[in-house]
Amino acid sequence: MTTNPFDDPAGRFRVLVNDLGQHSLWPDSLEAPAGWSVALPGDSREACLAYVEANWTDLRPVVAGGTAV
Amino acid sequence: MTDTIDSLFARLAADHPDRTAVTGDDASLTYGELDARAELLAGRLRAEGVRPGDVVALATRRSTTTAVLLLAVLKAGAAYLGLDSRQPPARRDLILRDAAVRVVLADKGLADDLDEAFTVIVPQDAVLEQEVALEQGAALEQGAVPAPLDPVSPGDRVAYVAYTSGSTGAPKGVCVPHRAVLRLVVGAQFLPVTADDVFLHFAPLAFDASTLEIWGPLLNGARLAVAPDGDLSLRELLSFVRDEEVSVMWLTAGLFHQAVDLGLDELPALRLLLAGGDTLSASHVDRALAALPHTVVANGYGPTENTTFTTVHAMSAPSGAATVPIGRPVRGTGVLLLNERLRPVADGEVGEIYATGAGLAHGYLNNPGLTAARFVARPDPAVPGERMYRTGDLARRAADGTLEFLGRADGQVKVRGFRIETGEVVTALTALPGVARAEVVAPRDGSGTRQLIAYVVPADDTRPSALRMRTRLADTLPAYAVPALIRVLDELPLTPNGKVDRAALEQRTVRERPEVNALHREPEGALEGAVTGMWSDHLGLEGIGADDDFFELGGHSLLAVALIGELRREYGVEISPIAFYLDPTPAGLARALTQAGVER
Repeated sequence: MTTNPFDDPAGRFRVLVNDLGQHSLWPDSLEAPAGWSVALPGDSREACLAYVEANWTDLRPVVAGGTAV
Repeated sequence: MTDTIDSLFARLAADHPDRTAVTGDDASLTYGELDARAELLAGRLRAEGVRPGDVVALATRRSTTTAVLLLAVLKAGAAYLGLDSRQPPARRDLILRDAAVRVVLADKGLADDLDEAFTVIVPQDAVLEQEVALEQGAALEQGAVPAPLDPVSPGDRVAYVAYTSGSTGAPKGVCVPHRAVLRLVVGAQFLPVTADDVFLHFAPLAFDASTLEIWGPLLNGARLAVAPDGDLSLRELLSFVRDEEVSVMWLTAGLFHQAVDLGLDELPALRLLLAGGDTLSASHVDRALAALPHTVVANGYGPTENTTFTTVHAMSAPSGAATVPIGRPVRGTGVLLLNERLRPVADGEVGEIYATGAGLAHGYLNNPGLTAARFVARPDPAVPGERMYRTGDLARRAADGTLEFLGRADGQVKVRGFRIETGEVVTALTALPGVARAEVVAPRDGSGTRQLIAYVVPADDTRPSALRMRTRLADTLPAYAVPALIRVLDELPLTPNGKVDRAALEQRTVRERPEVNALHREPEGALEGAVTGMWSDHLGLEGIGADDDFFELGGHSLLAVALIGELRREYGVEISPIAFYLDPTPAGLARALTQAGVER
């Protein structure tokens, strides 16, 4: 086993987002999975994580319109 | 999913209000009573300003009131956070700030040093107030604050926040939604619960085994038997289990091993004994199954991030196997074993465990970066937009679909330039006869060089031969992965959560070879090497030379007798003490063995 592809501090990554607003770090060398769009193209791991910190404010999967409690 | 823990519980309470829900040494509550009290307390929480999406902390002793409090927090739309009473106040305050907690439910004496900024509600007082209110026929209007809109569906609301230690040591709050809990306890195939079941509640709320303990019974119409508060001895705990006719209980691996050693018997009501949180000893599982013929013993595996259990392996009869598998994914959960290109590995190959499905937590509170790095996009066109959680654990899948746990992916260490998975060495050690448990660490010595050191716990009173362990390990592991030192311990040190305390093992001092008269000479040949290794294991010294004098190294006559005995068992030859004393060096002992007919 080598280092997990998400843990490589020197690797290039992208930030992906799905319909629920959930964000995912993603190795730049791998194809983005179905259902995810690229929010930030290839950059350093650090820059990708900074992007996520700045843009993903509610970790809960957000449903458009909201539902009553 | 529209169901929540509290909506499902309310339905059960309406259907069977008189059924017993929770019992303990302080009280006994029916489903109806529990629901009514929780409803009143939820009103009190709303009146204190608790809103959906908030986090309410609990610093309480184990009692029947715990269930009332948890349910009340959920009814108010908030998430609960169980504080660990054993953690230092500074860490507790850090967690409270991180979770933006304002209201703390705290027993008297447990949170006296809390900052004044917190609203502290003493449950016993609140419950008394409710009883008075109930007697006076108070309606529940105080709970009738208009419910605000919540942007998430009910099943996605956060039910609890569980703090775990990160690799950096900073606590991180795992946000677990209602649906993840429901997937664990409702209709679970590893755990078919009936209304006649009795679940033990013993795990601290801060530990996510409590999720199963509490909601397992309460969302299935069964009874929760709350163990008395305080540090119970194992004997006291087991007699509680016997007296209460507990049918389902969870024990941490550490406690399970101790319980088996103490003697598990006369528990005729016990149907399911779940253990896990760390590697289980196969011989202890077999002994438990032999002692409890009517009990299923199950190994439960899973990170907090995938809600208590990811896989379970249930066993009903001793198997004689060397290791205990972690089994198969629980309902609602999937397991992918992936390589470093995120592609599935073939059966029998080692891959990292990625968990998928309804058990996934939302992520780490206030830590979107870490969340995005651990909960990642799932590369499967059949399920677009789904996530998977990378556990950092390694496993391989057998042909029959069961998974074998192989330790942490980051348990990889580099010793003298070789990459070694400590999990693989642990697996090889525990597969040896006479070994119950093992842990392998790779601390740095005085010169900064890493050394692989194994600690093993014997399966019974016979101390396993270090020499034999070495010989057998050399059959299955590359030479560089055979530990420099194998030490036998009565018990592995445990953390408060019942996991093996690797840090404590790493800090155990391993002495280096002292100054002796002989020049250091590396052992030559298999026999000299084996004898030198055996000396290291018994003396707890690394770097022994082939010409070193036994007594200069700190050996004594009792140890000499033990060494001679081990050599007799291993090679079938008798070395006389006189021969030993005449040339008390590894080289001398190897020569004596050769003269007695042992191959060099």
